[in-house]
Amino acid sequence: MSSHIHVSPTGLFWENTFFNLALAVYLIAVLCYLAHLLGKEQLGRFASHLLRLSFLVHTAFIVTRAINVQRVPFVGSFEFGNMFVWATVLVYLWSEWRMQEQFYAVGAFVTPLAMLYLAYLTVVPLLFPAIRISRVHSRLAPVLQNKWLTVHVSTSIFGYAGFTLAFAAAVMWLLKRYLKSDHLITRALPGSKTLEEYMYRGAAFGFLFQSAMIITGAIWADISWGRYWGWDPKEMWALITWFVYAVYLHARFTRGWTGLRTVVLVMLGWVCMVFTWIGVAWLLSGLHSFG
Amino acid sequence: MTPEKTDLSAQENKKSALQQLLQFLSSMQLGLILLILLAVISVFATLQENETAISNIYHSWWYLGMMAFTALNLLLCTIRRFKPLTKLVFRPQKLTSPASLRKLPHHCELPLTQTTTEAAALAQAEAVFQRQGLQVEVNTGPAGKVLFAERGKIGYFGSLVTHFSLLVILLGAMYGSLTGFEQRSGGLAGDHFHVAEGGFRVDIKDIRMEPEEDPTVRPRVFSELEVTKDGRQLAAGTVAINQPLRFSGNSIYHTTFRYVADVLAKDLTSGREQQLKLWDVDRLQLDREGKVNLHVMQFFPNFSMRQGGVPYSKNYLPENPVLVGLLIENGIAVRNVFLRLNVPEVINTGSGEVELLMSGFEQAAVFTITRNLGRPILFSGAVLLIIGLYLCFFTFPRRYWAVFDQDGGSLIIGGRSRNRLLLAKELEQLQKDITSRGGEADV
Ligand code: HEM
Repeated sequence: MSSHIHVSPTGLFWENTFFNLALAVYLIAVLCYLAHLLGKEQLGRFASHLLRLSFLVHTAFIVTRAINVQRVPFVGSFEFGNMFVWATVLVYLWSEWRMQEQFYAVGAFVTPLAMLYLAYLTVVPLLFPAIRISRVHSRLAPVLQNKWLTVHVSTSIFGYAGFTLAFAAAVMWLLKRYLKSDHLITRALPGSKTLEEYMYRGAAFGFLFQSAMIITGAIWADISWGRYWGWDPKEMWALITWFVYAVYLHARFTRGWTGLRTVVLVMLGWVCMVFTWIGVAWLLSGLHSFG
Repeated sequence: MTPEKTDLSAQENKKSALQQLLQFLSSMQLGLILLILLAVISVFATLQENETAISNIYHSWWYLGMMAFTALNLLLCTIRRFKPLTKLVFRPQKLTSPASLRKLPHHCELPLTQTTTEAAALAQAEAVFQRQGLQVEVNTGPAGKVLFAERGKIGYFGSLVTHFSLLVILLGAMYGSLTGFEQRSGGLAGDHFHVAEGGFRVDIKDIRMEPEEDPTVRPRVFSELEVTKDGRQLAAGTVAINQPLRFSGNSIYHTTFRYVADVLAKDLTSGREQQLKLWDVDRLQLDREGKVNLHVMQFFPNFSMRQGGVPYSKNYLPENPVLVGLLIENGIAVRNVFLRLNVPEVINTGSGEVELLMSGFEQAAVFTITRNLGRPILFSGAVLLIIGLYLCFFTFPRRYWAVFDQDGGSLIIGGRSRNRLLLAKELEQLQKDITSRGGEADV
């Protein structure tokens, strides 16, 4: 049983407005990034500006949501999903800035992924009634009122964001490899070596935060339930994801693996990550208790 | 020969069988195989019912054995890498030659003007390296003066610290489970229970219930506990959700709460009275032969009935408390019995009549008592893991060598780092800085 919070109409209005606005500007930014990829090179910078703008609006949404629910909004699929998208865009923008805005093409792959995640929160439940994404404002259950949970969720969104970036680079690597070298897209993409470095940085970044997420989750579980590890499917899938990226990092780091083999590992890791996030809740939901 | 060959493969030609075995046990191939196996088995396990997976897989000898094998792999790898790694970090090869620098994947060659001397070129490079925050030294070897510059060497310990931390975590988990226990106990305010494995006694001094603003949400229960051993106090405090009582590796957690009904049972034939405290699942014998029994089903604080006769509680407010039981005669369920507060219920047992009267109810708390002596070890391991991963991925130890090639009159700079992008960028910058400074010097 969860307890609903009464939200003022004004609060609700701003929350919905910011959300819809962020969604709309994100979509336009995605289109501009894609146009950049498909030859309209001058749109890259514009796309980046739009993305920053939508990120700010999205931040405003998260802040209003926080005010409306009177806490950090990270509980339930809707709030967590938004935090996750927010972190993904932040990490991407940071990487874009770090790479001195040389590669807007990466944005043409990261931002559609972020849109895919947002689609899971908005469109997918309309298509699949079995998937319900509640937007209800609810109070935190007592067991969730713990500062370690806040750290747990904060680290998880950055872990997932890093893996998303790595996955985007992996997709680009495949395109670079299998499209003709004079193809429009191929020419817009960074070199294979740079993409592998992107993949590596993203995976390493994600791996650090994924590790921190597992640890802080265990600390929270130890305080709340009297056990730090319960072999719960959600815990296990987080660990499986961790294993896959550990394999990738070892293979690359010491065994010097490059190319397709590492790309496959990074993609597999992403699949595990998405399954941990979404799959466990809907497909293994009969077996465990939290989503 | 390139500077800093870190792998040991070159020396591994002739080895005894034991050495080869140790080699394999400490190898990353084995590490990768184990990681993949653990991942695949875990995927399979999550498709099972969780309780089944725990007993059949996670707690099976072979799964735990595989974990132990992983620990062994990590331990041997850590030991084997330790000496070469400290050598790499603290006694790096500082001398090199133009030829070997040219073989490095990242190197550059700066043709300098005829007038530039070796000393001037190296001095320029030294100044630029220092400005980049690198530690620089110049040594003389067979090929002449060699400049050696490095930064962030602590980062080389990343994998060692990471592996060690994983060992610490596994060790902490093992130690905790070997020395630990878990027990579930509960009671009413004023009750006490013993924790045999811990050798202590727990007194429930008080149980307080704080309803939530929204009465459909489970109220919070706060229990005042005192833990004693041979009359000596070990700990005392409040236990609630997210607020365990901890003392010397033991923890007492709030697990759940129950309502316990005070019921007066009166044999109307003999006039005998019995005051009872009834918990859910208690069984109450109503006749002398034991053929008629009441199975206590559930206590509803605010009783109501759904369509179709399913009882439920509207919320947690004790506005209409009802204890529901099932009357069993000769092993067959006959009917439900609803005990309302202060409303007597008479049951005909065939051999007489029994009157049941619920006169009140209390809250009982249920606790989980555990011992985990591995907690500090686990925590240290976790902290080390984060430090280790940070060192692995966010510090970029790098080294540069520069020599003046007398023949070509050029300065050759080579670099090594895990971070190739950073290396390329930094090398380019160094090159730019040295050239521009060189220009100045020559004017
Ligand atoms: C269950 C987890 C792990 C196992 C079983 C494992 C096992 C191993 C083994 C056996 C090696 C080979 C040592 C050698 O040949 O010199 C190795 C190397 C390495 N591992 Fe791990 N490892 C694990 C986790 C990690 C993690 C989480 C990291 C962090 C990124 C890591 C980083 C490294 C690095 C950097 C090396 C290369 C060592 C070096 O060149 O100094 N390992 N690992």
